[in-house]
Amino acid sequence: MIEFEKLRVVIGYEFLKHIRRRRLYVILALTLFTEVAVLILLPALQGGYPDNVMAMAAILTVGPALAAIGAVFFSGDAIAGEFESKTGYILFTNPVKRTTLVIGKYISSTAAVTLLITFGYSIVAISLLSIYGSIPIETLESYGMALLYGGSVISITFFFSALSKGGMGATVITLVFLMVISPIVDTVLMLTDTPHWFMLSTAGDSIATVYGGYELFIEGFVPLEHIDRLPFELENPDTSLTSLAMAIYLVTGFIFSIIFGNRRQLV
Amino acid sequence: MDEPIVIENLSKYYNHFLALDNLSLKVKQNENIGLLGPNGAGKSTTLKILCGLIRSSSGRVIINGQNVAEKPEQALSNIGAIVETPEFYPFLTPEETLKYLGRLRGMQTVTLKNRIVEVITLVGLEKWITVKIEKFSRGMKQRLALAQTLLHDPPILILDEPGLGLDPRGVVEFREILEDVGKDKTVFFASHQLTEVTQICSQVAVIDHGKLMVYSNIAELEKQYNSLENAYLELTGGVS
Repeated sequence: MIEFEKLRVVIGYEFLKHIRRRRLYVILALTLFTEVAVLILLPALQGGYPDNVMAMAAILTVGPALAAIGAVFFSGDAIAGEFESKTGYILFTNPVKRTTLVIGKYISSTAAVTLLITFGYSIVAISLLSIYGSIPIETLESYGMALLYGGSVISITFFFSALSKGGMGATVITLVFLMVISPIVDTVLMLTDTPHWFMLSTAGDSIATVYGGYELFIEGFVPLEHIDRLPFELENPDTSLTSLAMAIYLVTGFIFSIIFGNRRQLV
Repeated sequence: MDEPIVIENLSKYYNHFLALDNLSLKVKQNENIGLLGPNGAGKSTTLKILCGLIRSSSGRVIINGQNVAEKPEQALSNIGAIVETPEFYPFLTPEETLKYLGRLRGMQTVTLKNRIVEVITLVGLEKWITVKIEKFSRGMKQRLALAQTLLHDPPILILDEPGLGLDPRGVVEFREILEDVGKDKTVFFASHQLTEVTQICSQVAVIDHGKLMVYSNIAELEKQYNSLENAYLELTGGVS
């Protein structure tokens, strides 16, 4: 049996795992809840939706972005879980390469994240059509950036999963990296006027800034003249550079997760 | 293959701790060998190296002519294994689990379907075949572990305390199954239960502190030491 056939089998059963577990539905519910909250709270607190469809589209990206980050929750135990829960004693005694297992798990996680992000963008599209009667073409670009961001988040999670003792550890480390370390370093670099396109938080921002930059995003909440009071200049991320950064995270995280996953022993 | 399991000068360090010390063994075809030794003697380490779950520090293991470290997939295609207390994906049923593992082993759909029914019936889980494993007890999981071991009808069985977690009836049933299937297979069987080993195996290897103390026919050991228990106690430093 060629390894490609085994890969197909692994992808199928790993995807079944995502479908059967509650986490996927929890993240779907959170995505829906976030979008509904924006759609209800914005007019309730501001007296209406922004005039500019692009500003509204940028604000609504919060849902799909959350879905991309949600990838952490069902990728954290992808590799570590086989060691922690001892399922590896069954799986690894089969004639299948560890690389095939990691690739299969990665592809199925990517498929699940794609499902989540697509769900988020479907809500964005329906909402914009209902409110403004149109969907900006930039939504497609934002969707592409969100998928790339989701892929890089999975790669980083897989990397930590290959190194961590348990799935929970990998999930927490990845979240700390994404939500704490990366934004802090990003802010320091931004305040010191140092290039920061390679930071994953900047890359994540580009999911929303494709619609017209931070200014447009903020316009949905705050009058634009208030932006002048900020102690630093808002430099919009260069989409091509942030795409490159995400691609680098995606590829290196993925390769290292295969290397460390292969080296790991079931002691 | 006259000697489907060949272990040559196998050593394993966990950091500075020597778990296996230059272990060498050759198991003949269709021979059932019991691996005995106190806790921490190196039994599980040996089995894990045999199954490619861990790497040896030195030495090599050959399974049906294939070096486990160099060609793990080819070597593993010849074995069915239960190592330690394995767990299964709780969200799958036994049928789905066996289908997954069978497909990974390249089994054809029709053959696999029939074989799943056979092995599930053999281990007495036919009423639970479509129930999610999350509802299973330790003993039921152990039965499923044996089912996956036999699924592809491998020529070699590597078993680490397969009776663990089973009730007395389960232990007897397991022993009967192993006695039956073990007739035309090579069985490498680690256990603390001397009675179990006596009933299933014809040979024993006793290891202590990672070293091979004896590798002999059970009848000869019983003759020499009066009983297998005496042999075990003397060889592992106990009082007989």
